Amino acid sequence: MQYQIQNDVNGNPCAIAIVGKIISIPMNEGNTDYQAFLAWLAEGNTVLPPDEPVNA
Amino acid sequence: MADSTTTNLLLTKPEVGASTDTWGTKINADLDLVDAKFTADLLSASANGVTGFKNRIINGAMVIDQRNAGASVTPANGDYTLDRIKVATTQASKFTVQQNAGAVTPPSGFKNYLGVTSSSAYSVVSSDYFLIGQALEGFNTSDLGFGAAGASTITLSFWVRSSLTGTFGGAINNSAYSRSYPFSYTVSTANTWEQKSVTIAGDTTGTWIGATNGVGLYAWFNLGTGSTGSTTANAWAAGSYYAPTGAVSVVGTSGATFYITGVQLEKGSTATSFDYRPYGTELMLCQRYYFRNTGSLYAMHGVGTVFSTTQADVYTKFPVSMRIIPTVSLSSTQIQVGATLYAATSVSGAAGVTTDGAFSRVGTAGTMIIGYAAILANANNTSGYLDATAEL
Repeated sequence: MQYQIQNDVNGNPCAIAIVGKIISIPMNEGNTDYQAFLAWLAEGNTVLPPDEPVNA
Repeated sequence: MADSTTTNLLLTKPEVGASTDTWGTKINADLDLVDAKFTADLLSASANGVTGFKNRIINGAMVIDQRNAGASVTPANGDYTLDRIKVATTQASKFTVQQNAGAVTPPSGFKNYLGVTSSSAYSVVSSDYFLIGQALEGFNTSDLGFGAAGASTITLSFWVRSSLTGTFGGAINNSAYSRSYPFSYTVSTANTWEQKSVTIAGDTTGTWIGATNGVGLYAWFNLGTGSTGSTTANAWAAGSYYAPTGAVSVVGTSGATFYITGVQLEKGSTATSFDYRPYGTELMLCQRYYFRNTGSLYAMHGVGTVFSTTQADVYTKFPVSMRIIPTVSLSSTQIQVGATLYAATSVSGAAGVTTDGAFSRVGTAGTMIIGYAAILANANNTSGYLDATAEL
């Protein structure tokens, strides 16, 4: 499993995606998917940077 | 005018002006009658399950299965199966879970059950555990007062049917797994529904989450646990324990079955009748933690506008406020702009998700026209969906 940062319109991290899935995990410590991401990070894994922003 | 009586309870209405020495006695008799009637009706309602929400377990009758709609799954650690029913496992692929697995007749009064089937004859090692159960939200358990003097006694009751017999078990744990109450029960006859109840004195020590949206307590049923996670039955212990020592291991016998329904956790020392709730109410209770929108070839998930040539912002209203801001995921969906369809390839919370709805930015590979109205829907596929997950 590989995680990737998602940025908001201002370029600030706001959510986490899982590569290969259509999913958006909020950066909320009560969210168990986010807890799993933090545990994955703690194991020494590296999260991918966000995609380049798409302008309207 | 003589005394008269009320229409319904036939209470005495003392004659006005002629009950000088008797009206008090008559009124007192009326009050006693009302008191007795009130108490009797209340007890009767409770005994018949009329009063609601005494059961802290959600989906205890195993009625709701939003994720799998009755299909069999092989759950990984942390996966949810039927709604609100979670799996904790140290080894992959040792059992399957299915609503109404084996198609046996449920116990009287129930239409559904959760069925576990062992996939192999696995010998648990000391650190193993295989559990199925529920994480109860702190808002729904705080009144039990665990962790302090005066903690309430609780009773866990359920119907169970297994191909194995002997001493089975499970556990009540706090959110940090620093407090555990392994309980035991006996399955006497193979492949026969038996109703069990376990009464547990409230834990007066340890740290238990109060009225928050975190885990108030775990209620687990054991399918196989090694020595590390097992200890003396029916007593509170410090540490992480999930089963009584020597409990039957369901995963230890290939093809073994463990079926359960009518799971109820209530305050008090007596197992009362199951708290039947309307289907719609039970579904809404489940949707606080998980919501799936699906059901037809072009099931609509939300509407919005095209933000960029490859992205549309779409709003989806959740049916109930969720426990926390949920994870949003899509499968087999598309953005429709006019008559043109664009397969959804990504979703981002960049545009904002709340506990009440998702304003999602959906990515496509298409060249959409900015500012046009957009619809997020299933892509000609009944198995497509939008999920919002806020489980414990």
